[in-house]
Amino acid sequence: MRKKLLAALLSAGVLFSGCGNGGGNSAADDKNSFTYGTVAYGVAMENAGTDPHESYSGWSTIRYGIGETLFKFNEHMELEPWLAENFEQVDDYTVRVKINDAAVFSNGKKVDGEAVKKCLEHLIATHDRAPHDLKISGITADGQFVTITSAEKVPALLNYLSDPYGCIVDVDAGVVDKIVVGTGPYRAVKVTDTQIDLVKNENYWGAVKPKLEKITVKSITDGDTLTMAMQNGELDAVQGLPYSSLKLFTNDNFKISQVDTSRIYQAAFNFDTPELQDLNVRKAISMAIDKDGFVKVLLNGNGTVAVGPFPANLSFGDNEVHAVPYDLDGAKNLLAESGWADTDGDGYVDKDGKNLELRYLTYTSRQELPLLAEAAQANLKKIGVKLNVNATDNYKTFLRDGEYDIFSKAIVTAPTGDPEYYFTSHIVPGAVDNAGHYNSAEISRLEDELHNTFGAANRSTLAIQMSQQVLDDCALFYASHLKMSFVMKPNVEGFRAHPSDYYEILPELEKK
Amino acid sequence: MRKYIFSRLIQLVPILLGITFLTFGMMQFTADDAVDKIYEGSVSEEIKLAKRAELGLDKNFIIQYGNWLAGVLTGDMGRSFISGKLVFETFAEKLPATIELMLVSILLTIFIATPAGILAAVNQNKFPDYLIRALSFVGNSMPNFFVGLLLIYFLALKLNLLPIIGASVIMPALTLTISMGAKYTRQIRAVVLEELQKPYVMGARSRGVSEFTILTKSVLPSILVPVITLLALSIGSLLGGTAIVETIFMWDGVGKMAVDAILMRDYPLIQAYVVWMAIIYVVINLAADLLYHYIDPRVRYE
Repeated sequence: MRKKLLAALLSAGVLFSGCGNGGGNSAADDKNSFTYGTVAYGVAMENAGTDPHESYSGWSTIRYGIGETLFKFNEHMELEPWLAENFEQVDDYTVRVKINDAAVFSNGKKVDGEAVKKCLEHLIATHDRAPHDLKISGITADGQFVTITSAEKVPALLNYLSDPYGCIVDVDAGVVDKIVVGTGPYRAVKVTDTQIDLVKNENYWGAVKPKLEKITVKSITDGDTLTMAMQNGELDAVQGLPYSSLKLFTNDNFKISQVDTSRIYQAAFNFDTPELQDLNVRKAISMAIDKDGFVKVLLNGNGTVAVGPFPANLSFGDNEVHAVPYDLDGAKNLLAESGWADTDGDGYVDKDGKNLELRYLTYTSRQELPLLAEAAQANLKKIGVKLNVNATDNYKTFLRDGEYDIFSKAIVTAPTGDPEYYFTSHIVPGAVDNAGHYNSAEISRLEDELHNTFGAANRSTLAIQMSQQVLDDCALFYASHLKMSFVMKPNVEGFRAHPSDYYEILPELEKK
Repeated sequence: MRKYIFSRLIQLVPILLGITFLTFGMMQFTADDAVDKIYEGSVSEEIKLAKRAELGLDKNFIIQYGNWLAGVLTGDMGRSFISGKLVFETFAEKLPATIELMLVSILLTIFIATPAGILAAVNQNKFPDYLIRALSFVGNSMPNFFVGLLLIYFLALKLNLLPIIGASVIMPALTLTISMGAKYTRQIRAVVLEELQKPYVMGARSRGVSEFTILTKSVLPSILVPVITLLALSIGSLLGGTAIVETIFMWDGVGKMAVDAILMRDYPLIQAYVVWMAIIYVVINLAADLLYHYIDPRVRYE
């Protein structure tokens, strides 16, 4: 009996030691290979693949250095040439783009006008969103030039083409086992639902050549596993750590790269709610939200206080607009002005025998939203407004049935560096995501103008006016912008968080 | 016997029809669908409508179910709404990992729980018994996600024995083994204790048969029946995947796939999963019943 027990224990021991491999961080120690853990890759993100013409897979193609778009965004979300050398706006409907003469695909084939034409034609024939954004009616190729004609005025055409779906791939090479042939510094050799294996693109055309031989991108969706794998040294860099873990990495053993993104945490007032039709009430609520406290305490500093919908690094961002200040006394005065006072001493203001009680709807799949809900509830109690929080992932039912007075959500406001999308989807009267049913004639007028205005500077001016109008009307309040963080080992260079959230693995990436 | 097996398998038909219809029906109660999940409200309604038409989500619920059923009957489980891949292919990709994890954790459980349970019973109310009972109590009370994180913390982070992201089956299997093993140990201990009280054991002892022989030749076979019952339940649930353990250890199995499918309202994948679960339970219970028949002559007699 004892012998048998011993044998069982021994065999268990053998099983362990056989699979041990002493921690297995040997790959991460190698200077030529890079292991990257991310929460942002996978089937649930609809980007488990590299074919840019399928769903959101283009995000993976661009992020992991497999492909490139004609233009790319700089730190201020302004367009810069990438595969394209320059462009010429021929008229309101036509743009002529010159492709960089040096550009080649990873299979050695030259990127010329014809290749780009084929790729874009395939994009509009197969992709779900692209044809609606681009409204392309014709493409012609001539040497290194490609001329794109749109059926209606699309001032943000080049911005849309810089969306990851606009990644230029060799359509003739097709998609083999989820792998495409792109122009980026690395090429994929194996793509699964949970991992992408990359090797150096020996034919890379750019001035800076890729420095690593091998990159492994691993999808790790559990925050604690991600944290411990980074602590353990098995990963060279991570993206998407839980806020609570970030402080473990603020020491000399790690480096952090942070940037404000255009993801905003906002709350829309429902204009169908009689109490909220009063500007004073909306203003008072906006003035009572302690955004600074929310960002510092609840987000552990991993956010930036927002003024309007766009972050300050954008030319039409927070530096150009102003919102009501945090002022509890001012808020109380505004409520009093509108006849709201605590007559029964229950701590909440009332009018005609009814407390000012509002339903705050939000969801939990973004970890910051329930926190914001709690903060808002505590903040508003100070001015005598009662907030009943309903944080549910079944929020669409409540939206559909109109059972909310304030709806809070997270949204990327300028995914392509252009402001129009946010206004047409969330702000203009009748927009699909205009949850508050905000209806402003001035906004409609400005949007008409924006829709027909070309040139980044002019569009920026209009966007500022529109954001300011929303803030003056207190139609929504904007709590904070998401700060994105990359954590990496100290020997990792050339790995920086970008406000667009598109570019991660670049040729500059190396391990010293 | 053949007739018995056939009739049990025939029972699968109404079960499958019933549960697939119910699941399909329940999914209609949510206010959103796969298209809402794909776009998260970031595109125009026009694009969503086009996508709904493409996926057949614009049709009446009964028609959708009918289409799905007609597909299944002709061997076509459809395509995932999210990845666009064939459902059958997706399943076939994830199943080997799930089966591997199931096999390793079941084997580990048996290897650990059987000697531990017997040891505790033989030493009833002595130190080894107390120790094993205390450990199985702890193992039983800790949720899997917590055990998994503890294992990563100690085995990988502190002792550097195992990699976290090396796709080794050991840590996920050990996580499952700890809670299963704890249950099995207690069950085996109870059965062995009960057997040891029986007159035939006393008889054997009085005839001078050694304790070792009594345990291995008489008591051990008698614990097979309750162990098979436990195994049938465990194998069934393990083949359905263990979403939390799979997520923590990045084990690409059917459990995480099912949870993702539910979150994304990926109906074809959810339906396939439900069918799979129903088949496993019916088949495994049938296998267990047949095994009882074979192992325990009393069952045959009854």
